[in-house]
Amino acid sequence: MKKALILAGLFLVSSLAVFGQGYDAQPADALVFPIGVAGTVYSDMELGVRGGTLNVPNIEDPRGWNNHTAHETSTTWFTNRMHRGLLNLDHISGAVVIDFAKSYEISDDGLVLTFHLREDIKWSDGTLITADDVLFTFNDVITNEDVDCNSRDGMILPDGTFPVCEKVDDYTVTFTLSTIYRPILNQLAFNLMPKHKLAEFVHKLNPDVPVGTFNETWTLDTPLTELVGNGPYLVTDYQVNVSVTMERNPYYYGYDPAGTQLPYYDKVVNHIVANQDVSMLKFRNGEVDVYGIRPEDIAVLLPESAAKGYSVMITDLANYGTTWILVNQDIGLPDGTNDEKRDLYRNVEFREALAHLLDKDTMVQNVLNGLGGPQWTGVSLPSPFYAGRDEYGGPITENDAVTFEYDPALAASKLDALGVVDADGDGWRDLPSGEPLTITINANDNTIRIAYCLIMQDDFRAVGLNANFQVVDFNTLVGDLFASTGDIILLGLTGGDEPNSGKNVYTSCGSLHAYRYSACEDPDEVDLRIDELMDLGANTFDLDEAFGYYKEYQQLLAHQLGYIYLCQPTFLYAHYDFVGNGFMASPTSTPAGNNGLLTELCFDKRL
Amino acid sequence: MKRNGLRALGLATCAVVLVSLIGFAVDVNYIVANELIEEISKAAGLALVGDYLSTDPEELEELAETGRTPGIRLAADRALFILNGREMELFEMDDDALLELAKEGDQDAANMWFFKNRSDYKVPTAIEEYLLTVEADTLAIAAGKLLGGFYVPGSPIGAKTEDELVELAKNGESLGLRVAAATALTAIWNADQPLTIDETRTEILSVTLVYPELALAYQGYLAYLFSLEL
Repeated sequence: MKKALILAGLFLVSSLAVFGQGYDAQPADALVFPIGVAGTVYSDMELGVRGGTLNVPNIEDPRGWNNHTAHETSTTWFTNRMHRGLLNLDHISGAVVIDFAKSYEISDDGLVLTFHLREDIKWSDGTLITADDVLFTFNDVITNEDVDCNSRDGMILPDGTFPVCEKVDDYTVTFTLSTIYRPILNQLAFNLMPKHKLAEFVHKLNPDVPVGTFNETWTLDTPLTELVGNGPYLVTDYQVNVSVTMERNPYYYGYDPAGTQLPYYDKVVNHIVANQDVSMLKFRNGEVDVYGIRPEDIAVLLPESAAKGYSVMITDLANYGTTWILVNQDIGLPDGTNDEKRDLYRNVEFREALAHLLDKDTMVQNVLNGLGGPQWTGVSLPSPFYAGRDEYGGPITENDAVTFEYDPALAASKLDALGVVDADGDGWRDLPSGEPLTITINANDNTIRIAYCLIMQDDFRAVGLNANFQVVDFNTLVGDLFASTGDIILLGLTGGDEPNSGKNVYTSCGSLHAYRYSACEDPDEVDLRIDELMDLGANTFDLDEAFGYYKEYQQLLAHQLGYIYLCQPTFLYAHYDFVGNGFMASPTSTPAGNNGLLTELCFDKRL
Repeated sequence: MKRNGLRALGLATCAVVLVSLIGFAVDVNYIVANELIEEISKAAGLALVGDYLSTDPEELEELAETGRTPGIRLAADRALFILNGREMELFEMDDDALLELAKEGDQDAANMWFFKNRSDYKVPTAIEEYLLTVEADTLAIAAGKLLGGFYVPGSPIGAKTEDELVELAKNGESLGLRVAAATALTAIWNADQPLTIDETRTEILSVTLVYPELALAYQGYLAYLFSLEL
């Protein structure tokens, strides 16, 4: 008994070494999430209670605990819960919002961003967080060439410079830009690191340590008691290939409107499993509480959901990313061939005819098992800038969607009007000159893309277009893309919230302006306007104004049909019903998502 | 369709027991120990698997083999499945080994084979075609369970109405189709809870001799109702 008491005492001391005691009362500068507050995107959520453990599946071990040297999501899954930055994505809407900054201003000229920090907020070990930590993270870690920092490139402004980060006082910092560039706000959401724990490992601050020492800091060999953060959780236990346990940070500054300090769950246990099927088995057996499902899982999960007490979320929310075909408007240009075909491909009415031959409903039903929807713009649907919204971050209404309905008869009449008719009676439409027209459709060996192509091929042929689908390896396909060879290519792009990140795709001189690279030297009016709109959208901090510019560019692109968008699978998720607020899972965040946003708002309804 | 005389006698006896139980609190342990109707007994057994997990494995082995009722044998068998880590054992087997076990009558192996190969059956028609040539009842049942997931209302493709499912459970052309309908019906009833325990037992009595898969659907639902009583 005595030994047990001694051990308990040691454990207590050990725990206090990791965590401070927490706040005596809610700090004046706490970040309050409007959970359950009418008129906010949090209105449907429930206020929770503290306690319990959230069990989540994961298929990879972390590779370290250092947020800024991590290159893999298996590590950032944890560091994104250990650290927070000045700004963040709104946990529900995904919009850029304040986080550790309680407010910020932008100077009239748009070049100076002043951030006011929350005062009297502490790191998990009880040390105050100040402007020095912001400067340390930005000046000594992120922009320090000695540090192998993954996010440094994102901080570079269009003119190649970094913002200049300076301290005004203990709770005020400024970032001075050489040029107005609103997308930098996304980058300024970088996670903060504790100077008092890490400065000694940065060579420029401590010449006694070799260059690059920081890259070897907070590795898997580091005692977990050394880790300090300002986010909702800290790693407290790691069993290789088995699990990682995170426990609440007593000094986290997030609260709910009832004054309950977040996160609600005391612990998050990340169970490391071999693959997604094992995750699913564990979910079905109740060993993990949430699961990111795939279309093929639904038939297994749905029948047992009521008896086991979990919900299968089959939503109409599209995931991030795009899938498209491009009609190569520069075909033959590099070698001076295919002049007539090129003229035809450059004719937007021809591309409109093709767009009317895309049976997106069949693609969704037969390829995505009904779990998807059509796309018409290059900005991902979850983005607050998606043009199907009426305002920045507003609900998707598709009031202004530019769509081309599946209408083979209309497509045929458009082809007729272009003179693309069967001139020689062989059953296939020819070029206006009477020369044969053959169209090759290429995609890489991807089951979904192949299925899309086969549907397209059938519909093209049904109206007399001699289309032939061929699978080519991915590298060849990308090579064709960059070399402006090939007819029609089907590929996809990842997506995010900020349209400017697609500047390399949509501006006339962009490296991925693959449907017509020649636009760089010979831009038309639409190209020029899109170039202008992309800059206008980036060069204002007024999000509504930026939304207006980005909406116009998306509509122009949709009319232009450079990239012709196909379909995107929808968001699917499953969670046990006792995971309070788990139903708010979305493409923005899930209870077990990499960004860790929704985790802190979920709770155990059984308590 | 045919049932032997002993089962019919059990049915009659149980009907008397059922009437006598109406109006009393449900004692699932009593039911599993005394119920003679197979589906009701098994429903009780399924509800009690969690309780059986604390039983000594050797005793469970014996109960699974020689337990007095089908419900006891099923509860013990399912508890052993969990305690022995049989699921992961099956998961780690290759497809051929699973198929071999399935053809020898191992339903768990058949279920696991379908779980691991479900990506090949993304649409209900693919499973319906498979059922036309399936070689073993275990595989037909496993396929039927997966197909049932497509038939459930709310499924993006293949959903059927309750009436359609009842008809299919009664008169579906193959075992797999009837199991599929039964699986979906259980899911619907679990969500809607349209019948009480007593009503469900009565329904089982009315169909067990004629429509075994429909009785199976009620069995699954009754197991859920019993679990709510624990």
